[in-house]
Amino acid sequence: MRISLTEWTKSGSPWVWLNAGAVTICVIMVIGLLSLIAVRGLGHFWPADILQAKYSLNGNQSLVIGEIVESEQVPAEQLRDAGVIVPDGTKMMRRDLMKIGNRDVSGIDFTWVLDSNLSERSYPAMLFATERREWGNFYGYLRALKEGDTLIGQYAGYDKTPEYMALWNRFEASIERALSIRKDIYQIEKHEIGAINYELERLRLKQRSLELKNVVDPVAYTSIETRRNELNTEYEGLQQSLIDLYSEINRDSIVAEISNGQQIDIAVAKIVRAFRPNDMGIAAKLAHYADKIWEFVSDDPREANTEGGIFPAIFGTVMMVILMSVLVTPFGVVAAVYLREYAKQGFMTRLIRIAVNNLAGVPSIVYGVFGLGFFVYFLGGNIDQLFFPEALPSPTFGTGGLMWASITLALLTVPVVIVATEEGLSRIPRAVREGSLALGATKAETLWKVVLPMASPAMMTGVILAIARAAGEVAPLMLVGVVKLAPSLPLDANYPFLHLDQKFMHLGFHIYDVGFQSPNVEAARPLVYATALLLVVVIALLNISAVQIRNHLREKYKSLEM
Amino acid sequence: MTSNAKTHGINISSLQREARDLNLSRETTTLQVKDLRLSYGEKEALHGINMDIPKKRVTAFIGPSGCGKSTLLRCFNRMNDLVDGCNISGEILLDGSNIFDRSVDVADLRRRVGMVFQKPNPFPKSIYENVAYGLRIQGIKKKRDIDETVEWALKSAALWDEVKDRLHESALGMSGGQQQRLVIARTIAVKPEVLLLDEPASALDPISTLKIEELIHELKNDFTIVIVTHNMQQAARVSDYTAFMYMGDLIEFGVTDTLFTNPEKKQTEDYITGRYG
Repeated sequence: MRISLTEWTKSGSPWVWLNAGAVTICVIMVIGLLSLIAVRGLGHFWPADILQAKYSLNGNQSLVIGEIVESEQVPAEQLRDAGVIVPDGTKMMRRDLMKIGNRDVSGIDFTWVLDSNLSERSYPAMLFATERREWGNFYGYLRALKEGDTLIGQYAGYDKTPEYMALWNRFEASIERALSIRKDIYQIEKHEIGAINYELERLRLKQRSLELKNVVDPVAYTSIETRRNELNTEYEGLQQSLIDLYSEINRDSIVAEISNGQQIDIAVAKIVRAFRPNDMGIAAKLAHYADKIWEFVSDDPREANTEGGIFPAIFGTVMMVILMSVLVTPFGVVAAVYLREYAKQGFMTRLIRIAVNNLAGVPSIVYGVFGLGFFVYFLGGNIDQLFFPEALPSPTFGTGGLMWASITLALLTVPVVIVATEEGLSRIPRAVREGSLALGATKAETLWKVVLPMASPAMMTGVILAIARAAGEVAPLMLVGVVKLAPSLPLDANYPFLHLDQKFMHLGFHIYDVGFQSPNVEAARPLVYATALLLVVVIALLNISAVQIRNHLREKYKSLEM
Repeated sequence: MTSNAKTHGINISSLQREARDLNLSRETTTLQVKDLRLSYGEKEALHGINMDIPKKRVTAFIGPSGCGKSTLLRCFNRMNDLVDGCNISGEILLDGSNIFDRSVDVADLRRRVGMVFQKPNPFPKSIYENVAYGLRIQGIKKKRDIDETVEWALKSAALWDEVKDRLHESALGMSGGQQQRLVIARTIAVKPEVLLLDEPASALDPISTLKIEELIHELKNDFTIVIVTHNMQQAARVSDYTAFMYMGDLIEFGVTDTLFTNPEKKQTEDYITGRYG
């Protein structure tokens, strides 16, 4: 049976198809984006096999060792132009990006090789990879282990034998030992000496403030001096144990052979982990993978942010978003309550509403500039003059920091909260308000005890939207307090625990920094994907928890369908 | 009908009003309305009402939609204050003092003159908290006092037996009739002198309506009750005195039986015999 086009149009089916199509495209794009960053980001942590092969280019033969990271087809023409001898008749050639590590020796740790020119490929079980604190990965053969100047063991062959395994196990034990010493060093340097330095700085500021106030009481100065001497003694004690620990950790070193036969010395203290991926089963690889992921989310960054973890950035992001929510909620709600409940509706309120709605459309960098000019320089500068004159000329609040960043973002998101709360207030049935008023409650009591609790799900909606907007914002933060590497977290064990004046790290800025400001682009690229994925996950988690709170409130106050 | 009602535990006989000798001139006055005029902007809705509401009696306001009976009721606890552009002149004396006087605290007035609305409007709180709300507003903190009053109010509203095991569950889970009785309990918990009922049964089913009517009958021993109703049978069943209003005027006010059986004014007769409205 044929249906005419007109009838088909009249039936409304085209619209249904159009809408369904639009929704499908949206869903595909979201899923595609998420899968891309998930695959690219998470794949980075998998311990890839290390290839050893002969590589010939223009007649030169060499041995290459490394991981193949990606492959692509290039036109032969382009290679010819670059001076590569290409067999006649080929149009396209495959080339592979190899991570060859050993940046301290060769100066580069990634190189392109022509796939067809690789021969005698093998994956020797003895090849090992190490992650180092400096110079990136190292690939090679373990040749000897040394304790100071004494040789503990050595091995010269290329086959896996019990002797080799004995040497390897001693090497692993040596890494284990170095890591545990490093933990002690970290504890002393970061926490104990950190706390002493913090207190010394406070003492210095206290003394300076006494001087500024022209206090002449010698007792005050003496007590500061006594405490300072105590701290200095304590510091010297710690310094001594640090010296001991450092001589301990630097005891061991290994000798390893790299692809061109050169023997390289590596201090064990510089090694984060060593493994032989070609000799690992799937279980061992999974364990390694989990370990790497855990390191990524829980550790500090290393090597200009291209290695290690991004915990400070996660922490900074979450901290900033929570502070922002805490600031924006009361402010937005109070403004909305006034606009909706108390202000006389008329030209002025309409004007204010238009202004609020437009405020939501102002580019975020404008807020950043405003935050820098007003909050940081004006407010912060004045706060420093009034409350922290002893620290001048170095600024306390007169420079970007966690508080100014949170306030700037709160300002950025307050229109959303106002609009959502107003919406919620307008939906509270008149009958409920009258019921409360008829019982002798004043308007304020009615608002506080009945209307606001009932409007709380709408407020949460506003907060959810605010979080969604604020957590992904980067541009204004670059002006008001985000840094690429913060020496310490804004929340720690030193009084007053929450350091609102401190600069902090942020996932969004981290993506920008690692991806576009890093000296080692190839090494940083997978981390950009991984960090992006993590940022999405963090925002999703923050949102889900806010949605949970809202659902709980909705359940509690579900009376709007009355 | 009788047997059906009995299965729902309602005593119809209590609604049958005992033959009594009612006379407006012998009653004590609680609310005295003196030349009350009310206008919304340009439009006048009440054109000078004069009437005395008798103490501890049920007074019903009847009349067609838009006649001003709800507006008049809402004047008694100054609910009209909330309406923009509402102008009132004249006086309403509650126990001899004008409620529109500047010195009167509106919240205090509303505590003395409670109101129940057309649709049940419980707060989204527990049953207990709904009844305790007015007490907490008054600043009563002692848990025992609140417990006692809540129990008394729920018993007075004939709701205690149905809800005593789930006092701390949400009030929104109750049926419409129960919610309306809860709202009445909430209102009488603050012990007002006057109880204003604005079509309290119009959103309810017949059984719940009957329960509310029975309740009104019980409550008039303690409170002065003013009820607005669309339902003339209801007015006839529950009230002692009835006022018929039409187009913003009070047409006739008298003993309910007399007004329904032998109205003085032709307009009243036309209305109760169903010729308009």
